Amino acid sequence: MAYKVSKDPRTDIRERTYVPNLLRGLGITAKHFFRNLFGTRDTNTQVVDRTGTSLMTTVAYPEEKPIYPEGYRGLHRLVPREDGKPRCVACYMCATICPAQCIYIEAGEYSEADPDSEDRVIEKYPTQFVIDELRCIVCGLCVDACPKDAIRMDTYMHTPPEYTRQNFVYDIPKLLKGAPVSHPSDPWNKREGSEEPHHVHKEAHTRIGEGLVELKLPHGDHGHGKALPAATHGAPQAVVTQQGPIQVTKFIK
Amino acid sequence: MSRVLTILVAMFTIVVLMAGGMASAYLVGGLVEEHWFSGASRLTNILFLVLVFVMVIATLLTMAERKWSAFIQDRMGPNRARIALPGLKNRSLGGLPHILTDVLKMLTKEDLIPATANRFMFNLGPILAFAPTFALFAVVPAGPSVTVFGHKVDMVVATPDFGILYVLAIASLAVYGTALAGWASNNKFALLGGVRATSQMISYEVALGLSLVGLFLTFSSVQFPAIIGEIGSALTGGTGQAQYLWRTDGAFDLGLPAWGIIIQPLGFLLFFAASFAETKRAPFDLPEGESEIIGYFVEYSGMKFGLFMISEFVEIVVLAGVTTALFFGGYHLPFGNEWLANLPIMQEHGWLLGTILGTVFWLKVLFLIWVQLLIRWTFPRFRYDQIQALGWKILLPIGLANVFVTGALVLWDPSLRALGVLGILELGLLLVLTTTTKVPVTGSAHGAHGAHGHDHGHEAHASHDLPAHAHAVAPASPH
Repeated sequence: MAYKVSKDPRTDIRERTYVPNLLRGLGITAKHFFRNLFGTRDTNTQVVDRTGTSLMTTVAYPEEKPIYPEGYRGLHRLVPREDGKPRCVACYMCATICPAQCIYIEAGEYSEADPDSEDRVIEKYPTQFVIDELRCIVCGLCVDACPKDAIRMDTYMHTPPEYTRQNFVYDIPKLLKGAPVSHPSDPWNKREGSEEPHHVHKEAHTRIGEGLVELKLPHGDHGHGKALPAATHGAPQAVVTQQGPIQVTKFIK
Repeated sequence: MSRVLTILVAMFTIVVLMAGGMASAYLVGGLVEEHWFSGASRLTNILFLVLVFVMVIATLLTMAERKWSAFIQDRMGPNRARIALPGLKNRSLGGLPHILTDVLKMLTKEDLIPATANRFMFNLGPILAFAPTFALFAVVPAGPSVTVFGHKVDMVVATPDFGILYVLAIASLAVYGTALAGWASNNKFALLGGVRATSQMISYEVALGLSLVGLFLTFSSVQFPAIIGEIGSALTGGTGQAQYLWRTDGAFDLGLPAWGIIIQPLGFLLFFAASFAETKRAPFDLPEGESEIIGYFVEYSGMKFGLFMISEFVEIVVLAGVTTALFFGGYHLPFGNEWLANLPIMQEHGWLLGTILGTVFWLKVLFLIWVQLLIRWTFPRFRYDQIQALGWKILLPIGLANVFVTGALVLWDPSLRALGVLGILELGLLLVLTTTTKVPVTGSAHGAHGAHGHDHGHEAHASHDLPAHAHAVAPASPH
């Protein structure tokens, strides 16, 4: 029953003489060598999309950056309005839901007497909005929790390295960046008295992107209207971010 | 496309640099022969061949090994070091600035000597490892002997009568450095590495010498100039490896040259394997064995370690040079050799012929260096018993058989054509075995294996005019 260890299991002459198989191995490495020597390296391509001769998959980091996938939760940003102020209304939703408790908000209140007070359309704003990126676990719950679409993680950046821990604590100047976002349902777009918006369906009027509504922009020296570019006063402004009008089912009451 | 152009331009630059080096070597040699004394060109050859060519190639190899291994392994290789000059600032230059940083690092590192080490022996180790490898290249001719400014200039430092025996003797001296370094470090792992190096060197020394005996028999000499041979003319055929086994009649000589690889393929295989073991590089890097014992230089730091490392690279260059001279026709072209040498312009300006053929020599050396690096990055390290079994049980018997077969064939046919046929048969069998794959075995494994080998033998047999007994004594492969 004893298994004969000394018996060489290789029966093929190519294996038993070593040399042919060694040469074949050299052929494989030589192929890699020449493909990488003469082939132009694909930079910044997903591995599955590579078509070039070169087999290198290296991303030379500081010069090239990897492409993050769609929906990647990157560094936070505070979404600005079109006048550059944060959309945040200091509701503390994000700070409350944050499991790592890394968001700290101090709220300020617009006074009615203040000419810059947005006419009480928005009552509160953050005087301090601080995220400790070292404590953040990048779960994205704050983005989900925000009722005003004021915090997003769509920067497609990871937290850059810093020399001190304090530098990882991001405040409003560091967080407030990126393209401004506007929705028809934003309160400052719905002002001018308190009439019904253009939406026919009441239950749908807070939906994002219902039709291409003409925005009721504040005129004259009202609020942030000054900050808007002149073109926005003319033709209907398409600030809607969705692809097309959403079909809304009318509920029978 | 631009990448391909860049690489081609870089290759062309290398060829031009080599040609420039050889041209200046010949011209300076001719000048000193004329103005100093007869034989002064041998002294300038030390400068040009050993210090310029071997040393520069060895230095560049430190970089090439890292870069080429990166290409083999689908990596980019070192490319971070930059030279802060305008125009070069943001270019990696193929990693070349890393050579400077490496040298800087080696020279500025602390030179540590263990407290319990034998200081004298410890310092002697790197010297003994480095000096012999450096002296090896002295007997390898890098170009033909031509007439420059009316004086004969040889492109070799020394042409002793004992030729290759010098190489074998000096090469085995290098193990003293390794063994001393291992012992003097007073470190168990270093000692283990030194002992391994010694025993490996002893086992492969025999096979190394034996593998060359066939070549000595073939060319009836142990001297490099005789083995490399002289280029013939229209009246006389060449000697050594410059002769042709068969050639076309005509002004332009086209034919099968009597290179060592063609008339002694088995000897080449044995020599390459054995000398690879002598250089102590993977797959024979048991003395270093960085993943098991760190090796004989574990206690060395700074430039002393650097000496061990650079001597390894010098060994690569020297091995490539010796192999080129013995088995790849030295500085000879595979065809058109006599036509080129007998052109009027070449007869008139000897240095021109020397430059061309010298460049051919260094190109062959470069190719063999590349092959060595390819081998080093392809094969894993042998186990220790495998090393010894390969040396004593495989290389040695095949070497002995090769000596007898070669001797018999040289006696039978002094024109070396029988040897050439045998060599081509061996190479053909190897080619067939490499390009085919295993057929599914139906009967007993042993029978199928035997029949397979014979099949190919007969196929090759049919196409050549083969002496009747040559087929029976064609052991291209150890069984």
